[in-house]
Amino acid sequence: MNVVVVRLVKKAKRGSKDALMELIMAEKDTMYRLAFTYMGNEHDAMDVLEEMIVRLYENIGQLKKEEAFYSWSKTILVNLCKTTLRKQKKVVLLDNWESSKEEEQLHSTDSNVQQLEIAEMLSILNEHQKEAIQMKYFLDLDYQTIAELTNIPLGTVKSRIFQGLRKMKDFDGGEGDERDRRTIE
Amino acid sequence: MKEIEERLNEEKQRMAVMTAPADFENRLRTALDATPARKTKRRNPFIMMAAVSVLCFLLISYNYNAFAYYGKKIFGFEEIMTGTMKDLNDKGMGQIIDKKTTLSDGTVLTIDGIMTDANQLVMYYTLSNPKGVGELWGDVFNPDKITGFFTNARAGGGMAKVNDSGTEIKGTTYFDPVSPFSKKLTLHFWQGIKNGEGSITFPYDPNKAMQTQIKQSIKEKVKVDKGTITFKTITATPTSTVIEGKMDVDNFDRIHFGFEGVKLIANGKSIDNLGSGVSGSKFDLRFDGLPQELYSLELAFNEFVGYQKLAEQIPLNDDTHHDLEGKDLWVKKVTTTERGVEITIETDENLLLDGVSIQSDDKVTALKTTIGQRLDKKTDRFTSERTMVFDTNSMPEYLLIKGIHYVKKYNQKIEIPVD
Repeated sequence: MNVVVVRLVKKAKRGSKDALMELIMAEKDTMYRLAFTYMGNEHDAMDVLEEMIVRLYENIGQLKKEEAFYSWSKTILVNLCKTTLRKQKKVVLLDNWESSKEEEQLHSTDSNVQQLEIAEMLSILNEHQKEAIQMKYFLDLDYQTIAELTNIPLGTVKSRIFQGLRKMKDFDGGEGDERDRRTIE
Repeated sequence: MKEIEERLNEEKQRMAVMTAPADFENRLRTALDATPARKTKRRNPFIMMAAVSVLCFLLISYNYNAFAYYGKKIFGFEEIMTGTMKDLNDKGMGQIIDKKTTLSDGTVLTIDGIMTDANQLVMYYTLSNPKGVGELWGDVFNPDKITGFFTNARAGGGMAKVNDSGTEIKGTTYFDPVSPFSKKLTLHFWQGIKNGEGSITFPYDPNKAMQTQIKQSIKEKVKVDKGTITFKTITATPTSTVIEGKMDVDNFDRIHFGFEGVKLIANGKSIDNLGSGVSGSKFDLRFDGLPQELYSLELAFNEFVGYQKLAEQIPLNDDTHHDLEGKDLWVKKVTTTERGVEITIETDENLLLDGVSIQSDDKVTALKTTIGQRLDKKTDRFTSERTMVFDTNSMPEYLLIKGIHYVKKYNQKIEIPVD
C-alpha cells in the first residue's frame, strides 16, 4: 500500500534503519533480479545491493517525493551496477579473460545450454541494446519504467530494443520475418 | 532454431522464479548497521532571504498586523475537531476559503477553510463524488505541502470521516506553519492510484492568523545516562504548544520510547501530547493548546532512555528467569541449528541487551544477529520475545551481558515561569 510506503519512507528520512530495511525487504526479489541481471552472478549482485542500502540511507533526505521511493532506489541500484561493471572491466586481465572462458565451457552442461545461447545472442549487441532488452524481456518492465531507471528518453528505449532484436534476428540466420515486427510496438 | 522472442521468454520465466538469496536480509542489515547514523540537518535556504525581506519590510513601513484577527467559523467539521480546535472554531478563529477543484477521478475537492498560527496551519477540506469517494481516501487525495511566499509547509497528520452513503469525506490536515508574508497559498497534493500531482491556489490573509500567547526560552539542560537534552524554547499558540530543543544522547534510538515520558503540566494538569519529531540532534514536542487562565507551567521529565552497565554471567537453561538490576529476563530456549547457537529470550518491550556474548569453557562468541522479534501483550505491559543467533556450534554454558538500554525514571521537573 502506498500509504504504508510513504509512512515508512518518512520514518527512514528521520533516520530509522528498520524502516529502510522494511521497505527494501518488501521488494527484495525485484531488487535482487535487477542487480543479478546486470552483474550476472549472486556474489557481485549482493555486493552491489549492500552498497545500495548504504547509499539509500545516506541520501534518503534528498528524496522529495516519498511515493517515488522505489523508482528512486532502483535508479540508484542501476547506476551502482553500471559503475561497478565499469570498474571491473578496467581490471580484467588477460589471464582472467581466458580462465573465464574455460569456466564457461566447464559449465556448458545441458541445463546451462539455454542460458549460454542467450548470453551468446546478447553478446552481439552493444551495451545499451543489451541493457534495454534485458530489462524489457527478462525483468518484464514497461518502456516507461526502463526510461526512468536508465535515465534515457522513452523513444530511445524503444529504438534500442527494436534495433537490438533485429540485430539478434539477423545473427540468428535471418529467420525473423515481418510478423515479429508487430511485437515490438 | 527457436524464435528469438520465445527464447527471450524462456529466460524471462527463469528470472521470474529467481528469488533473493537466504542471507539477503542479513547482509543488507549488517551493511546498514555498519553505516554511521545519519545526522539530518534541515537547513532553511530562505533564512537569509527572510532576513533581507524583514529589513525591506521595515523600510517601507508596511503596516502589518498579524495579531488582530477577524475570523469566521468553519461549519460542518464538528465531528473531526479536537476539543481545542472546536473551541477556537466556535470563537470564529478560522478563515473561510471555499475554493473548489476537480480531481482526476471526478471527485470534487473543496478547501473549506484554514486556521493558522505560529505553530501550524490546519486545513479543512471536503471530497465529494456522487459515485462514491472510496474507502481509502488516501488513494484519491493525499495532501503533500503548502507553498507560498517564504512558505514551504509540509503536511503532517490529519483526520477524516466518510459520510454514511460513502459519497463525501470531510477531513482536516495539519501543516507546518506558513509565513505571515504570504498573501496566496498553493496546496500541492497527490491524486489517484498513480499518484498524479495536483495543486490548488487560494488567497490567504495573514491578519487573520491567531496570536501567539507565549514564546519564551527555557534553556534548561537535563543529564541522562548517555548524554544531555536541552530544552530551548516554548511557543504556545491557541491551537498548540511546541517545545523545541537539542539533544545529544548516544542511545536515544536503541529503544523505541522517544519522548513519551516527557509531559507538559499546566495548572497541575497534564496537557495532551500531540506527537513529537526528531531530526538529527533537534527535536520538537507538540502538545495541545494551553488553558486561557494559566497559573503554572512545568515540564515533567519523568522517563527517558537510560543505560545500566552490567557484568552478568548467566548460566543457560531453558525456561529460567533472571533479574537484571530489577528488570526481568526470561531465557526460554537454547538450541543449536544450522545457523549456530540460538537463544530465545523475553524481556520488557523497551529493553535492549548490550554487549551480548556466550561462553563455553574459555571460548567466547559474540552475538551475530537477532531474529524473529515478536511483541506480546501481558496484563500490564508489552513484552518482546526474540531469538539471538551466535555463530558457533558448541553448546554454551553462560550468557554474558555487559549492559542494558532501558526506560529509566529520571523524575526531574523544569519550571517554566508564566507572567
